[in-house]
Amino acid sequence: MDFDLNEQQQMLRTMARDFLSRECSRTRVRELEKDSRGYDPDMLAKMAELGWLGLVLPEKYGGTGAGLLDLVVLLEEMGRNITPGPFFPTVALCALPLIKFGTKVQKAGYAADIAGGNKIWSLALTEESGSYDAADINCRADYNGTNYLINGEKWFVPFAHAADFLIVICRTGEVSNPQQVLTAFIIDTKCQGLKIELIPTIAGDGQCRVRFKNVKAGKQDILGGVGNGRKVFDFIMQSATILKCAEVSGACQAVLDMTLAYAKERIQFDKPIGSFMAIQHKLVDMLTEVEGLQYLVYYSAWLLASGQKAATQISMAKAKAAEVYQQVCIDGVKIHGAIGFSMDHDIGCFFRRIKSAEFMLGDRDTHLSKVASGIGL
Amino acid sequence: MDFEFSKKEEQLRREIREFARRELAGRDLITGLEEESLDEDWEFAMQMSKKLSQKGWLTMAWPKEYGGRDASFFEQHVYMDEASYRGIPGMTMGVSGIGWVGQSLMLFGSDEQRKKYLPPIAAGEPDGIWCTAYSEPNAGSDFANIQTRAVRDGDYYTLNGQKIWTSCAHRARWCWLAVRTDASVSKKQHGISLIILDMKSPGITIKPIYNYAGIHIFNELFFDNVRVPVANLVGTENRGWYQLMQSLAFERHSVAPQFYGTARRILEIIIKYAGRTNLHGKPLASDPLVKHKLAERAIELETLKLFGYEITWKLSKGLIPIYEAARNKAYCDFVMQRLATTGSEIIGAYSQVDMRSKWAKVEGSITRLYMMFPGISIAAGTDEIQKNIVGQFKMGLPRPY
Repeated sequence: MDFDLNEQQQMLRTMARDFLSRECSRTRVRELEKDSRGYDPDMLAKMAELGWLGLVLPEKYGGTGAGLLDLVVLLEEMGRNITPGPFFPTVALCALPLIKFGTKVQKAGYAADIAGGNKIWSLALTEESGSYDAADINCRADYNGTNYLINGEKWFVPFAHAADFLIVICRTGEVSNPQQVLTAFIIDTKCQGLKIELIPTIAGDGQCRVRFKNVKAGKQDILGGVGNGRKVFDFIMQSATILKCAEVSGACQAVLDMTLAYAKERIQFDKPIGSFMAIQHKLVDMLTEVEGLQYLVYYSAWLLASGQKAATQISMAKAKAAEVYQQVCIDGVKIHGAIGFSMDHDIGCFFRRIKSAEFMLGDRDTHLSKVASGIGL
Repeated sequence: MDFEFSKKEEQLRREIREFARRELAGRDLITGLEEESLDEDWEFAMQMSKKLSQKGWLTMAWPKEYGGRDASFFEQHVYMDEASYRGIPGMTMGVSGIGWVGQSLMLFGSDEQRKKYLPPIAAGEPDGIWCTAYSEPNAGSDFANIQTRAVRDGDYYTLNGQKIWTSCAHRARWCWLAVRTDASVSKKQHGISLIILDMKSPGITIKPIYNYAGIHIFNELFFDNVRVPVANLVGTENRGWYQLMQSLAFERHSVAPQFYGTARRILEIIIKYAGRTNLHGKPLASDPLVKHKLAERAIELETLKLFGYEITWKLSKGLIPIYEAARNKAYCDFVMQRLATTGSEIIGAYSQVDMRSKWAKVEGSITRLYMMFPGISIAAGTDEIQKNIVGQFKMGLPRPY
C-alpha cells in the first residue's frame, strides 16, 4: 500500500501548479467567465505544448501514454485553479472513449489533433431532463438505408460552441431495451442541421444546448459499433466521472486553503477568528471531508486504473464530491463573512461552479442509487 | 499510489476468518468492550485472548523478545479490522495493555519493566490485564488538572486521591496511572508522572459505575495511602505529560481499523435485515429512502477505511501521525453515530427491545451499538478535544481555550 504519488506524478503536479498559477490567475478566470468563448485559446495551446492534451493518448498519436492516475493529478490541479475551458470535455469526456472504442481509422484521424490542441471535442449525452440515466436518452438516430439521421436535443454540453467534434449518444432502437439500442456517433459540428446555443449559466462556463435536425452520420462515424452505445456510456460514466471528482477535489482543497488563510488573518474581538472554537471546528470538519474526498478519489481511480471493479467506489466519490464541494463552499463563504459574498472575492468563483460539478455526469441521488445497488440493496 | 494488501496480509485475513468460524460458535461480540461486564463473557474473552496469543496475533507488531513477532503495521491493521469484523472477544484484553501500555513501555519504560510487564500481556494471561486511570472528577477534557497525589517517601510513593471512569479496573491486575508528583509547578502540565500500580496493593477501593445500558465497564478508584515502589515510575518523574500524549496517540491510532471492522459488520447486518424484511409487501431494501441512507453510510465507511489505511501507511514509513489520529477518532465517532441512528431507524420500534431479549432484532447488535456509541465517542478524548488537536497541529490555528 502506498498513498504517495510517484515521481512522474509529483513532477506533473509541480509543473501544473507553476503553470496554472502563472497563466490562469483568478483574475484571468473571472475575465473568462465574461468572455463569449469562455476560454483562452492561447492557454489551451500552451497546455498542448506541455503535453497535457495528449497525456493519456498513445505515443503513436502524439501523446505521452501516461495513465489515468496521472490525469487525476493534473485535473486536481486544474480544479484548484478552476481552470476554465474545453480541456475536460476534450480529454476526459472524448479522448478516453475515442482511444477505447475508436477504430484504427478513427484514432488515426482524430487523436493527433487532440494531442496537438488543434481540435476541441465535447460529449453530447444528457438531454432536457438533465438525467444521466441511459434510459432517458431520447435523441434518435434512424437509418435510412444510406445514412443515420439524428434528430433531437442535447443539453448542458460543455464548450459545444467551441468544439470541432461531438460524441453524440443516440437511440437507434426501441426504448424497451436500453442496453442494446444506444449508439455513439462522432459528429462534426460544422455539419448541416446542427444548431448550438450557449446556455447562460451562473458560472459562465460554456454549457450549450445542441439541436439536431436530420443531421447525417455515416457508418464510419459510429464509435464502438452499432448498438454498443451503452458500453461507451458506461465507460464514460466511470472514467470521466472519476476525473470530474478529481477536479472537484482540487477545488475543495483550494476553498479550504483560502478559508484557512483568512481565518488566521481576520481579527475580531482582538483575535484571529480561527482561534474561536466554533470557527476552528468548522475548519477541521472541512479538512476531514476534503481529505476524505481526496483519498476516495485516489482509491477509486486506482481501482479503475488497475482493472478492478470500480463502479461503486466511483459513485461513492461522485456523491461525496457533490456534497463536500457544496458544504466547503457554504462554510467557506460563511467563515469569510460578508466579503465572501461579494463579487470581488475569489471564493464566489468556486461557489458559482457547485451546480455544474454536481450535475455533470450524474447528481448525488443518481450516484447514491448506484452505491445502493453496489452494496446489495 | 497503490491500495493493494500483500499476499501475506490477505492470507492473514483468511486465517482470522477461519479462526473465528472454528472458535466462536456464535459467541461473537460485535461492539466489544462490554465483555468485561459479565463474568461468563469475561471468562470466554480470556480464553480467546490466550488462543489469539497462541496464534501469534495478540501483540503481533511487538518485537520477538517481548512476545510479539515483529509483524508489519499492515498485518496488524488487517488483524484489527478482521478480528473486529468477526467480533472476536478478548482481542483487546481490556484495551490498555495491548492498546498503549506495551508500546509506551517500549518507548519510556525501563528494561526491568519491559521484561516484567510485557510478556504476560503478549501471552494473553490474566496478569497481562491492565486498566488506565487518567480521568478524575475535575479532570476530564482538562486532563492536566489531575489532583491525585503521589508523594515520594524514600523508595516508595504514597498515593492519595480518586480516579473515575476507569474501564476494566474490576478485571485488571495492573493500572497505568497518571498522578501529580509535583504540586508546586506553575504550569499544570508539568509535575505529572506515569506510574504502574499493582491493583492488589492495600488501600485501593474499586466502586463500579454502571452505564445507562446497565453494563459494567467503568469504575471509580479511591486511593488511601497506597504505597507504590519508586521502581514503578515510568520514564522521568514530572515529565509524564509528554509520555501521556504519546500514549494517547497510540490509543487513537487503532481506532479507525478497529471500528471500521465493527462498522462494516453492522452495515452488513442492516443491509441483510432490509433485504429480508417486508413493509407494504415489499422489502425495505427497495425503498429509495432506505437505500439512500445506507448508501450514505457506506460512503462514510469507505472514507473511514481510507483514513485507517493512511495512518497505517504513515506509521509503516516511520512517521508519527498526530493530527491524523485525532481526525480519525472524531470521524469514527461521527460514523458510528450515523450508523447507530440509521440502523435503529431501519429496525424501527424494535430498536428499543432489550438486546438480550428473544424479541430483539439482529441479536440486539444495533441496539447495543446505539447504547454504546456516545460512550465510545467520549473515551480517549471527546470530539471537541480531537478537533482542537487537528486545528492546532495540522491547521496551525491558535489554541481556542
